[in-house]
Amino acid sequence: MNCQELLDLLHDYIGGELVIELHRTVEIHITGCNSCMMLVESYRHTIRLARALPKCERLPAAVEDRLRKFLEPHLGSS
Amino acid sequence: MVEPPPEKLTPELVFREYAPRIYGIARRMLGNDADAEDVMQEVLLQVIRKLDTFRGDSQIGTWLHRITVNAALAHRQKRANRQKHEVGETGDELDRETPSAPVKRWAVSPEEPVLAAEQHELIDKAIKTLPTPFRDVYVLADVEGVPNPEIADMLGLSVPAVKSRLHRARLWMRDALAPHFEGGMAS
Repeated sequence: MNCQELLDLLHDYIGGELVIELHRTVEIHITGCNSCMMLVESYRHTIRLARALPKCERLPAAVEDRLRKFLEPHLGSS
Repeated sequence: MVEPPPEKLTPELVFREYAPRIYGIARRMLGNDADAEDVMQEVLLQVIRKLDTFRGDSQIGTWLHRITVNAALAHRQKRANRQKHEVGETGDELDRETPSAPVKRWAVSPEEPVLAAEQHELIDKAIKTLPTPFRDVYVLADVEGVPNPEIADMLGLSVPAVKSRLHRARLWMRDALAPHFEGGMAS
C-alpha cells in the first residue's frame, strides 16, 4: 500500500468500514509511515472538532424579536 | 423509575427549544445570517402549523432536520436563480484532494475537545469556505451527526456520493485548520 491508496481508504478506515484484511494493511502502512500516521490523527481531530461545535446557540436578541413578531399570531394558540 | 410524561408540544415550546437548532443548521449550510433567519422563520411556521400531527419529541427531531435541509436548499436555489454568480461564492468542486503542505502533528487533546469561542469562529469560518455541495454533507454528517444514508436520502444522493463528498470536505477542513492546530491549540 502507498500513501495515495491510504488516502483513498481513509474515510472507510476511520469509519471502521474496511474488511479486516484491508484494515490491517492500512495499519501496517501507518505504522511505517510517519506522514500518514499524522494525517490519520489530524483527520480524526478534524472530525472531533466539528462534533464539538455547539449545535445550537442562543439566538441573537434582534433575531429572536423578529421571529417572535413573525410567529406571534401562532404562539400561545394551542 | 417511571419516566415523566413528555412535555406537550406547543408553539411556544417549539419556539424555545427548536428555533436555535434550526437557525444553527441553516446558518452553517447557507453561510449567511439573513438567509438563515428567513429559513428558520419558514421552518418554524411549518412546524407550528403541523404540530397536531406529532406524537413526541423524537419524531419531530428527525423531521426538523429534513425540513430545515429542504428549506435551506430551496432558499439557496431561489437565490441562485436571482443572482447567477454570487460574489465570493466558491465553485462547486474541490480541486485539492491531497494535503497542500507537509503534514505535521496537531496539538489537540485526544479527549473530546472543548472549544473556545475563537475556535468555534475559526472552524465555522473554514466551513464557509467549503463549496456548497460539500458543505451540506459536511455540516449534516460531522457537525449534526446525521448518518450517511439519511443524508443521502435528504439530499437525493447515493450513499457512495455522500461518502466521497464527506471525505473530500474533511480533507479540505483538515487543510484549512492545520495551520491553526499544528504544534499548538488555536488562539
